[in-house]
Amino acid sequence: METGPLRNAGAACAAMPDFTEVLRRHGALPEPTQIAAPPTALAQDPLLAGLRTQATTILAFKFCGGVLVAGDRRATAGNLVVYDRADKVLEIDRHSLMAIAGVPATAWEMARTLEHSFQFYRRSQLQELSMDGKVRALSKLLRENLGMAMQGVGVVVPLFAAYDLEEALPRLYFYDVMGANFEVADFAASGSGSPSVRAVLQYANAYGPRPLAKMNEEEAVLLALRALDTAAENDTATGGVDRHGRVYPLVKIVNPSGISTLPEALLVKAYQRDLQSLPKNALTLVEIE
Amino acid sequence: MTEEPYRWVEAIANRREYIENQLAAGSPIAALSCADGVLFVTVSRHQQKLFEIYDRIAMGGIGHPGDIERLRMSAIEVASAEGFSRSANDVSLRRMAAYSLSPVLKNAFEQIYGPPFLARMLFAELGRNGEPDLLLRLDYDGSFHTNSGTAAPERFATISGKEHSSKMMTQFLSGKKYAHLTSAEALPLALDSWAVGHLTLARDEGEIPSQEEIAAHRQEQLRAGTLEAVLLDRRSPAHATFRTLKM
Repeated sequence: METGPLRNAGAACAAMPDFTEVLRRHGALPEPTQIAAPPTALAQDPLLAGLRTQATTILAFKFCGGVLVAGDRRATAGNLVVYDRADKVLEIDRHSLMAIAGVPATAWEMARTLEHSFQFYRRSQLQELSMDGKVRALSKLLRENLGMAMQGVGVVVPLFAAYDLEEALPRLYFYDVMGANFEVADFAASGSGSPSVRAVLQYANAYGPRPLAKMNEEEAVLLALRALDTAAENDTATGGVDRHGRVYPLVKIVNPSGISTLPEALLVKAYQRDLQSLPKNALTLVEIE
Repeated sequence: MTEEPYRWVEAIANRREYIENQLAAGSPIAALSCADGVLFVTVSRHQQKLFEIYDRIAMGGIGHPGDIERLRMSAIEVASAEGFSRSANDVSLRRMAAYSLSPVLKNAFEQIYGPPFLARMLFAELGRNGEPDLLLRLDYDGSFHTNSGTAAPERFATISGKEHSSKMMTQFLSGKKYAHLTSAEALPLALDSWAVGHLTLARDEGEIPSQEEIAAHRQEQLRAGTLEAVLLDRRSPAHATFRTLKM
């Protein structure tokens, strides 16, 4: 009789082409953690905060060239800066991006699972997973992570941006910790610096020279950099634009032809030009008389 | 009956004959390793015959659609689970064939009270870092043959419903240079070899058909069926290199 990986494989896959089930069958994915209602005393221990790495501010908005997704590069644990070159904007497939705020260990694993599930679906079912299917897949992962999130170790609040080839539309979603997905018309932000980012984007969208959706790429990139820089001014966990360390945010754009990552040189140029065009003391402390 | 060794051998021989008969009408598949990747070509009638397995692995199969489907799913599952739990670089066609697929095929074939797989498959894996591409034929009894192991690995592989047909295709393709051909340049050649294989399916002996006969057959068959061509694209910037060539 058939043994090993082929046992029932065909039948099971055809009936339920869910990659997480396949991984469970191969023992490559743990069962979802049980939900332990109150956060344990251990998780609230301030000492433990230093062990919990968090990735912070991410933003995304639609502009005339697709969806722009950007994230600062700082990862923190409590009041410590753990890493200054974290990638929080991850490519899931040719037309989808996931940006992460929260615990990187969980978030990167989610991104990996998502990437593999979309590919597994395409390969096994001989068709692309639909837009709704992709959005739902991330919901399910968040939902399964709820146990960890409730215990205070593994909260992830992602954004999902994609170009919907079927409808020929850019799409943008944000999620809550429990996995509810919300589609947004113009912009979304997540992470510790998101209040500032949201304010900047809201202001630019409503009172700027033109709404976000009408901006060209250059304007969109500049706005993203300014928003992250503003967030960094107000939130110590956001890296923003580090001009001394030459660490610039990660900016990616998704449109019908796929995903492009903006080269750092371009970001540097855009930012420098912006600084020069501003009034001299705009970004420096004014001496108090 | 299987308590007697001779009966078992006889049963296996009968089973082999039965499977060969079932496969005999299978439309040939040719794979060429050329400059920009591995090209798979066949002409199909009713269903898709060429499939993506993983980032750098593709498969073509002839036989019973249900069996091909099961094996295809298993191959995808094994590769995906490995690629997820280790990394995409750890997925290897050789290991997948030798440790996962072959033993199961052999087992099913030799358990004479159970159903065997009616399938013959051709796999290819793009070589990494300038290594030669791996072409691997896997048969219903679990036996497999690769193009490697020699000083100069063959740059083509074929499968067909009958051994003679496959031999003719091999003869037609050998002695030609593929290393500098692009997939577009190699496509007519692969299609001609398909025509050779398809023409000789009904013949048990003889030589390679003449060039005119090949051209005429090719044209006639393309009207009746669909040309299927896929490429594992060596120059693809994405991790997933498989793409269908549009005609």
